[in-house]
Amino acid sequence: MAKKVLVVDDDPDVRLFNTTVLEENGYLPLEAENGEEGLRMIRAEKPDLVILDVLMPRQSGIRLYRELKTNAALKDLKVMILSGIGQKTFLRSQQALTEFGENPVPEPEFYIEKPVDADVLAATIKKAIG
Amino acid sequence: MKIRKLLFVTKFEELGYDALKTLLSLRKSDLEHIVFLYVIERDQVAMRRGLGYQKNEAVRLKEAANIRFIDWAERLFEQGMEVGVYIQVGSLAAEVAKAVRKEEADLVVIGRSQKTAMEQFYSGSTVIELIRRLSVPVLVYKPVSESPFVTGTPFQRPLIATDWSPASLRAVDYLLELKPLIEEIRLVHMVDEGAIEGSSVMNAQKTRKDVKERLEEICGRFISAGIAARSHVYVGDPEEEIEKAAKECQATVVVLGSSSKNLWVERWVGSTPRAVAEKSAFPTLLIPPVME
Repeated sequence: MAKKVLVVDDDPDVRLFNTTVLEENGYLPLEAENGEEGLRMIRAEKPDLVILDVLMPRQSGIRLYRELKTNAALKDLKVMILSGIGQKTFLRSQQALTEFGENPVPEPEFYIEKPVDADVLAATIKKAIG
Repeated sequence: MKIRKLLFVTKFEELGYDALKTLLSLRKSDLEHIVFLYVIERDQVAMRRGLGYQKNEAVRLKEAANIRFIDWAERLFEQGMEVGVYIQVGSLAAEVAKAVRKEEADLVVIGRSQKTAMEQFYSGSTVIELIRRLSVPVLVYKPVSESPFVTGTPFQRPLIATDWSPASLRAVDYLLELKPLIEEIRLVHMVDEGAIEGSSVMNAQKTRKDVKERLEEICGRFISAGIAARSHVYVGDPEEEIEKAAKECQATVVVLGSSSKNLWVERWVGSTPRAVAEKSAFPTLLIPPVME
């Protein structure tokens, strides 16, 4: 059975690009428009990988990543950040939240800054979940 | 009425990161989430005679806005803030209302309207259109460089101009929630010149005393909450007197309840909140009445 990959991004063009790459490489793509919808789908669909944007309405990828990594049932879910927001900013932001008293979270295993090449995206997905 | 989430509506020229920075003082209260909204007005990209919908122009404007927002968002994320973005093609008031609903924002911040008097007459005032559609307060931000009288952060020394309307009394509850930001509140009421014209000195003094008593009652609520407050009575045209009071009190923001006049009366006759929001040198916070 094809592995499920959830794309969480508010930009429909980016979702279309990512889901096309996923389908062409034999994965089953799922889509969500923001962090809140993403979390609902993660609980319902239990994907093998989440490709997560950072800057989104309702709930950002920074918050969703934190929710996943501090939740015992979801912390092992593989997450790839794919965003226009730089990796340094993502890490500083998580550090600031930890300094404000929230639980520390590990660095994301996979981080790609937009724009991404289809081959690079496919190769990183393969590295993450085979 | 806490301000946890703020919707920052910008076209970049009139409201930039410097404005946003002064609003970050709201973090001392409850602010944790900022949502940016950039609206590409339909007439910028659509319905041009012979051209139809200019998709490439819409994409260019969207991407330019996105690049600006990514830069702003990075600075805010690094401070541990939560940030979101909407870039939409449509009408400003409608898109602001949609974003407020989706995000459940507690405060909308907009820049001063750039419309000319004629444009305002035909299409209406953006501020008034917004306040009509929204149940949340709207802060019409004016940069410090434009207002020689304003120094400090926006909620440091608010001036509440009350006409005793439910909306202006609601402003009191709103400001009580912002206690950590407030140094001192000034409360003013503008007595109509007609109310004292031709009356005896005693009657004029009685009017002043009655108004002062009502104002002091409200000041008492602030003082009990640990916020310094003083009251003042002015006589004359509300728009001019509010400006005068704001200067004399070195206010950092003027707070008013929004008008309950209907759309056509508003367009023809205008209203004090609209006039102050659009003409005053001071940032203006408009509090809507409770929607039924």
